[in-house]
Amino acid sequence: MSQSCFHCLEPIPSGFDGQVTYEHEQHPVCCIGCQAVAEHIIAEGMSDYYKFRTVKAGKVENLVPDQLKIIESYDNDAIQEDFISHQGSLNEVLLSVEGISCAACAWLIEKQLLALNGVARVDVNTSTHRAMILWDPSLIKLSEMIASLHNIGYKTYPFQADEEASQKQAVAKAYVRRLGVAGIMTMQVMMFAFAMYFGMFSGMDENFEEYFRWISFVLATPVILYSALPFLSNAIKGLKAKQLNMDLPVSMAIFGAYVASSYATIMHTGEVYFESICMFTFLLLLGKYLEFRARLKASEFTANLHKLLPLTARKLLESGEELIIAAKQLTLGDKILVKAGETIPADGLVIEGKTSVDESMMTGEHLPVSKIVGNQVFAGTNNHDGVITIEINQLGQNTLINQIIRLQHSALTKRPKLVEVTDKVAQWFVACLLLFATATAIGWYPISPDKAFWITISVLVATCPCALSLAIPTALTCAVANLTKKGILIKEAHVLETLPKVTRFAFDKTGTLTEGRFTITDVVTLSDSYDKETCLKFAGQLEHFSEHPIAKAFEDYFPNNRALDNVEVCSGYGIQGVIQNLNIAIGKPSWFDNYESDAQAVLFIDAKPVCEFKLSDKVRNSARNVIAQLKSQGVTSHMLTGDSSNSGRLLATQLKMDSVQSACTPKDKQSYVDDWASKGEVVAMVGDGINDSPVFNSAHLSIAMETGADISKNTADVVLLRSDLVAIPALITVAKKTKLIVRQNLALSLIYNGSILPLAALGMVEPWQAVIGMSASSIIVICNSLRLLKL
Amino acid sequence: MSIIYVLIPIAILFVLIAIGIFFWAVRSEQFSDLEKQGHSILFDDDKEQHKKANERD
Repeated sequence: MSQSCFHCLEPIPSGFDGQVTYEHEQHPVCCIGCQAVAEHIIAEGMSDYYKFRTVKAGKVENLVPDQLKIIESYDNDAIQEDFISHQGSLNEVLLSVEGISCAACAWLIEKQLLALNGVARVDVNTSTHRAMILWDPSLIKLSEMIASLHNIGYKTYPFQADEEASQKQAVAKAYVRRLGVAGIMTMQVMMFAFAMYFGMFSGMDENFEEYFRWISFVLATPVILYSALPFLSNAIKGLKAKQLNMDLPVSMAIFGAYVASSYATIMHTGEVYFESICMFTFLLLLGKYLEFRARLKASEFTANLHKLLPLTARKLLESGEELIIAAKQLTLGDKILVKAGETIPADGLVIEGKTSVDESMMTGEHLPVSKIVGNQVFAGTNNHDGVITIEINQLGQNTLINQIIRLQHSALTKRPKLVEVTDKVAQWFVACLLLFATATAIGWYPISPDKAFWITISVLVATCPCALSLAIPTALTCAVANLTKKGILIKEAHVLETLPKVTRFAFDKTGTLTEGRFTITDVVTLSDSYDKETCLKFAGQLEHFSEHPIAKAFEDYFPNNRALDNVEVCSGYGIQGVIQNLNIAIGKPSWFDNYESDAQAVLFIDAKPVCEFKLSDKVRNSARNVIAQLKSQGVTSHMLTGDSSNSGRLLATQLKMDSVQSACTPKDKQSYVDDWASKGEVVAMVGDGINDSPVFNSAHLSIAMETGADISKNTADVVLLRSDLVAIPALITVAKKTKLIVRQNLALSLIYNGSILPLAALGMVEPWQAVIGMSASSIIVICNSLRLLKL
Repeated sequence: MSIIYVLIPIAILFVLIAIGIFFWAVRSEQFSDLEKQGHSILFDDDKEQHKKANERD
């Protein structure tokens, strides 16, 4: 029997022996939550989930009454207004679902919801982690659906799609429609074209030929006027901005050939090339769509900023009553209650209570900051242990989190735009091409006015920078797809171009080089009357009641029996209580007796130190290797950390890094990177917190951890989905290979274009031959790019 | 051979219907998540099977 949980596949803690029956066998589970979920899934006949899932399920936590209250508040009409749309008598909502990992999850969710009375339609998207639900509000409440999803282990909250995302979705759909029309119609037109080719050899009835031409005209028209329209509008947009883009010769060839072929059809003269232009359109569109799709997928993956701020707030009325309202409806001066574990919805001053707040998302400091009456708290930060009342003094755009977002946006415009270089080259190429085509037209006109037009079209089609324009995007798309499979998400096209040039890697410490999780490395007893075991047990008892990150290190030592009384958290020092008539306390060494030690936590019994605990944040296994590998490639590594303690320096020596800067504010990090950049270094920044997001914009390249803050993932160029540094060397390898393939592609397409150009200009290439040549060169380029998938 | 004057327009009609169905499929999000649609064939309505399996025991 396996020793991992049947549902979430996590190790089973000692002392818990829950089991579920699946296919007549007993399987162990790790907690009551997982047991309940697994039993529910099996009892409802949805056990297929366990057969087909490809990724483990998330760990399940039980809903506490407070969370239930928040979920119920989603039924409130004023709150619903923000995220619900109506379709006749039905309501539609988009839910963001945490923990969707594969198709099996989607199936499970759809199945669970559709079994409820009143749910009309469910559509789960596994790539965006969102579920669309259409339901009848008179039959079922939104909160009931959310609670039922919780029963099978998914945390869910309403999602507000932002403008940009929905626009991108619309563009994607338009692409698919255009591609579909072009594909279906091209097949039809080709059929008639073949009939006409063979007719040319075997002699075809003129009536038939005429008829086929008209049919081709009718079938090709939607392709040109619908599918190829974006090329024309892009070309015009470019011209208006006084720029020559790749779309210009493309649309000249397509629309020129279309107009000429239509003219030939109507006037019964000359040749028609409907099949050529249809195929041309289809192939070009396909390349563009694949490129767009890769980018879309990458941007969808990173979560939305909305997730950072809660949708609801507990407003305190004059009468002292508590009312859950939409966070949007808060006004300045409102008093709100924030309970332990909740996210603060707006910036404000604490007017009652004391607590500690996790501001790591803002500052990178992973220790909670204690807040008492009169202190400022910030929207988006997490209230750790106490209940506080705050009076709101900043809303919306003025909150600190929004200021940080603005800081990013302003830095974003200053980002070095390497992509522009490629655009410039393309401009020159297009300009030369147009000049050459014009020269061909002028040269041929006196010789043969009939042929001049078609030869010019041939030149445009044959030398169409198609292969050239595919050379870079296809290689990038394949590289991106390959990296996505490896759990590396590329959000910006320039990443692969920049990577081979990087000379410095800057790393954040907590959460990047380390896992951001404390473990006990050493236990030293100071008294003979208590052994290590007892000390750890005592510490485990006490720390169970603490929310401090250090407390998590003692999680494993919590005995199942609770024998603790009078627990008291002493803010800034530690936690104390009474066990077996002993006053025990754990916390700072200097708590009692002015005891001095370099340990992070000391256990006191009756105010006497009895045991020292040395803790360390676990260093990621791969860190040392990755830094050594970078060094072997001549890339230096540096640490920029917000942590002010000595641990950064120690870690850097241990990992053999080239330099360390500790106690950095986000601004400091930015100025270090700017300084390096001004000295001509190409800098890549690897980080995870909100405090890293401004520096991400200064660095030439930014890499974020999946476990990091949403905001940093949104800013970063690359997201490491497995939060594993091993991805960095892999990324560099792929980037170097991509560079090579891009060069090969460019060489191939330039050789093709260069050799076909004189032939086409001399009138030796018919338009249909030009299309074949163009397609062949494109296919060769695509095949070459496909090699990147197999790295 | 003149039958093709009639048959080809009919064929085009079919093509138009196909495009109509395609547009409908795009609108109803069938192309937004290709991975899920690809897997969905693996899951059958095993509620019935489940019952049967229980009855067999």
